[in-house]
Amino acid sequence: MQPEQRTPSRHEIEFTFDGQRYVGYAGDTIAAALYRAGVRVFSRSFKYHRPRGLLCLDGSCPNCLVNVDGTPNVRSCTSALQPGADVRSQNAWPSLDRDALAVVDRLEWLLPVGFYYKRFIRPRRLWPVYESVLRNIAGLGVINPDPDAFDEAIYDKQYRHAQVAVVGGGPAGLAAAVAAAESGGEVTLVDENPALGGHWRYQNRQLGDGTTEGPDVNQLIGRVESHARITVLREAVAFGWYADNLLGIQQGNRLIKLRCEQLVVATGRIEQPLVFRNNDLPGVFLSTGVQRLVNCHGIRPGRRALVVTTGDYGWTVARDLLSQGVDVAMVADARPEPKHPGLDQVGRAGVPSLPGHTIQSADGDHVVQGATLVRIGPHGAPVPGTEIELNCDIIALATGFVANNSLLYQSGCVIEYDAEVDDFVPTQCPPGVLAAGHAAATDGLEAVVLDGQVAGLEAALSLPDIDGQDLQHVIAERHRQLHEARERLRPAQSVRPLVSTASAGKRFVCYCEDVTEKDVRVAIGEGFDDVETLKRYTTVGMGPCQGKMCSMNAVRLCARETGRTVAATGRTTSRPPFRPVKLGVLAGRKLEPVRRTPLHYEHVALGAKMMDAGQWKRPEHYGDPATEVRTVRSNVGIIDVSTLGKIDVRGPDVVAFLDRMYTGRFGDLEIGQLHYGVMCTDEGIVLDDGVVGRIADDHYYLTTTSGGIDAVYQWLTWWLAGWQMAVHVVNVTADFAAINVAGPRARDLMGRLTDLDLSTSAFPYMEFREGSVADVCARLLRIGFVGELSYELHFPAEYGVHVWRRLLTAGADLGVAPFGVEAQRILRLEKKHIIIGQDTDALSDPLGAGLAWSVKDNGADFIGQPSLARTRKRGPIEQLVGFQMLDASVVPGEGEQIVSDGQIIGRVSSARYSPTLDRSIGIGWVEVDRSHEGAVLQIKTAGEIAYATVVVDPFYDPRGRRLRE
Amino acid sequence: MFLIKCPNCGARSVTEFRYGGEYNPRPRDASARDWADYVYVRDNRFGEQLEWWYHRAGCQRWFLARRHTGTNDVVETRWPGGASGEGRRDESVEHPPDAT
Repeated sequence: MQPEQRTPSRHEIEFTFDGQRYVGYAGDTIAAALYRAGVRVFSRSFKYHRPRGLLCLDGSCPNCLVNVDGTPNVRSCTSALQPGADVRSQNAWPSLDRDALAVVDRLEWLLPVGFYYKRFIRPRRLWPVYESVLRNIAGLGVINPDPDAFDEAIYDKQYRHAQVAVVGGGPAGLAAAVAAAESGGEVTLVDENPALGGHWRYQNRQLGDGTTEGPDVNQLIGRVESHARITVLREAVAFGWYADNLLGIQQGNRLIKLRCEQLVVATGRIEQPLVFRNNDLPGVFLSTGVQRLVNCHGIRPGRRALVVTTGDYGWTVARDLLSQGVDVAMVADARPEPKHPGLDQVGRAGVPSLPGHTIQSADGDHVVQGATLVRIGPHGAPVPGTEIELNCDIIALATGFVANNSLLYQSGCVIEYDAEVDDFVPTQCPPGVLAAGHAAATDGLEAVVLDGQVAGLEAALSLPDIDGQDLQHVIAERHRQLHEARERLRPAQSVRPLVSTASAGKRFVCYCEDVTEKDVRVAIGEGFDDVETLKRYTTVGMGPCQGKMCSMNAVRLCARETGRTVAATGRTTSRPPFRPVKLGVLAGRKLEPVRRTPLHYEHVALGAKMMDAGQWKRPEHYGDPATEVRTVRSNVGIIDVSTLGKIDVRGPDVVAFLDRMYTGRFGDLEIGQLHYGVMCTDEGIVLDDGVVGRIADDHYYLTTTSGGIDAVYQWLTWWLAGWQMAVHVVNVTADFAAINVAGPRARDLMGRLTDLDLSTSAFPYMEFREGSVADVCARLLRIGFVGELSYELHFPAEYGVHVWRRLLTAGADLGVAPFGVEAQRILRLEKKHIIIGQDTDALSDPLGAGLAWSVKDNGADFIGQPSLARTRKRGPIEQLVGFQMLDASVVPGEGEQIVSDGQIIGRVSSARYSPTLDRSIGIGWVEVDRSHEGAVLQIKTAGEIAYATVVVDPFYDPRGRRLRE
Repeated sequence: MFLIKCPNCGARSVTEFRYGGEYNPRPRDASARDWADYVYVRDNRFGEQLEWWYHRAGCQRWFLARRHTGTNDVVETRWPGGASGEGRRDESVEHPPDAT
């Protein structure tokens, strides 16, 4: 035992519980500090609002759940005490001592098992009343909905890898970690406690010379902590096993995803309560809970104790109680003839014992004041008339354990009931999963350590670069020792299993959900005699403890009531999480990558209002979008279009490839020419658009929409993978900055920065040239998304800032100004140029979208062709049309309905006020018979009907003279 | 979060990949019914099936995987058009000798 555990440092810590001031010590858990200060009632139970006190001290049971600094359902027995903590009890009003709803305890007849299926359902019209009352009573813990009260903590995620992961830092896990690491494995040891040692921390036995009995676990801890190949994760709960040996681990506010090649599960065991009358009365403890109070916290848990045991280990607990000066009133041993070396020692201390007896009820009001013992008959039933009453203030139940094999279950181990150890044990584990120690139902410290060693060695054996030959010998030797130890220790482990003792009053099987033995019996009587349906109907095992306190007892009761064996009864499925996990830990922080163009900080310096466009940040505008529109229409504007997707495609099959991928024809494109290109899926739905330029016979340059690049790149490479065509596709989006220089004075501006001949005869619309711009090697694309003469410059991203600044200085006298995404949206809308994804959706075909001109109809196959051929034959059902509002001051919202006689016949996809035309314009989808010039549309705008007429041609420069001149 | 063995990068968590759907060869000169089957109908099999995967967070390449849809056991992964000649290799495209 580490000395600091026995005597916590006397450094005092102040905190409050339900508003009252308390003092604890550094190193205390919240529960330990409260218990030392005299608090016995920690919570009120879920259904009957009965007082509940500390039970397991292990983080397993629901009894000590409290609200700490606003966080509900904190397990006070495993949470370290922090200075100034505001601790509050739950499920009690007005106070823990006087809870108004405790009246429910006497209304049991109203709330039988499954009452929510039986009560409060008639008359039906009263259900809303029942519901509001029940909703207020139901639930556990309260969340403060005030957003300012939200926990500001950062929740993060960590990904880890280990050759060998060992879960559980007790003797078996420590031995496994050391064995695996010393054989060459990289080991990560996961333990949920602040200190290593597991049960040995509170159960070791010091000998006169200061050493401890049995294997030296302290030495194992030292080897684990000093070994270079062992990483220890403390206060880390492995709550779930996932496919291919991935562990979900909660450590504080962090979610760790640990992937390992070999997993050793050494998660120990969980002590089980006995089912008897008032077994929930504060003062009734699991014996290991008492040992933790005594040995880890140095607390004297009571004045007079009753120890109830079914085997040897209760005598050890009695010894520990004596060591803290507790008067042990009685050891009630279920065995008719108990034998234990500690018996003498305890007997010498004057402790009376009752063989063949067990507890029938805990007696007292609010807390234990006494107990009634009863003799056990030959078939395990209490013998009437043999009751003995006893005064005591604590009761320690040493009535058995279940192996904590939750992770083993989850990993797919075959787990079967073993009558000899009276527990479910793993009989076959999948590759890469090993069980050791108490989790594998191995008992006795010496055997547990050997079992851990065997598991660690076997884990190492299957790692690469490990010499198996030597290891095999060691494993064989350890196996022999383990077998021998098991044989030697077996007699000392004799137990007399008990489940419950019959008596009047409430005997709790499930503490979380207040399910009594009677409830279980009634449910089985009603036909829920399978453990799975029994669980769902009674909710036994469905509370915060997830069956840790009740699952095995429920199985045993089910077996007893149905006359089946425990093996035939089986267990319920075990699923993650093994321990409660905070939603914040699962949700974590939202970490979205942010992409900035090479010109980002130029925009910021110019006062741009930035907006999100997928992962990109783009300038929405630099003050006034309408002014920016006028600049482009009358002078010259520049816009950062670096976010456009850019793809370089080359190879011998490139022409055939592009002709299949796009709806248009690119084989007859001359070098230096550009074409508008649309891509469809085989459903005939528009996927993306952009321009396609031919650089050489076998070399093309493509652009995609800003948001579409990843999908298009994957789309192209997917078809290539299947077709095995000789084409190479490279995503060069980030390599090039791109600036569109647009407006009637664009040629004047560009002429100042390049020697290229920019005349329309030498460099016409829909062609591109390569040359020097502002001394930077650039590709100039003459295209016209915004409807003016424009040059889209693509050049190495490193020169983005340089070219941007040169454009602004060189064109100052021409009135050049930057424009943002909003101005561009208005400009293109005036030209009725569509945006894929904005004006199209997952049902839009290119024929309806007005792109029929871009779809080849020469019989050649391309992606989408067979579907589009059918659409063409049938004719589109909906058409994308332009419209102009009758009232220029009304701009419909995007997505608003276009209606006719109350029926929806279409929807608005884009709409803006056009400063150029002083009109309110838009585009939208309508049924084909409303798509002719002048058709009147009714558009629901903010609930009112507004009128618009269809305009077939572009609103601005319908002949397209300006972009060609 | 099961593991998939990328033919290029090795075993990685499934979250690094994009699922590309069932292996569903594109028919040529299909009848309306066959075309509709190809476009809209999937086997949705319980058991092993051949499917496309894309290693988005790795080498950014497409490959084929044979996966059991009930257990997520990935039995086999390989490049398309390998020695077995499977994949969607299209014989109508002329390949130079060094491209195959």
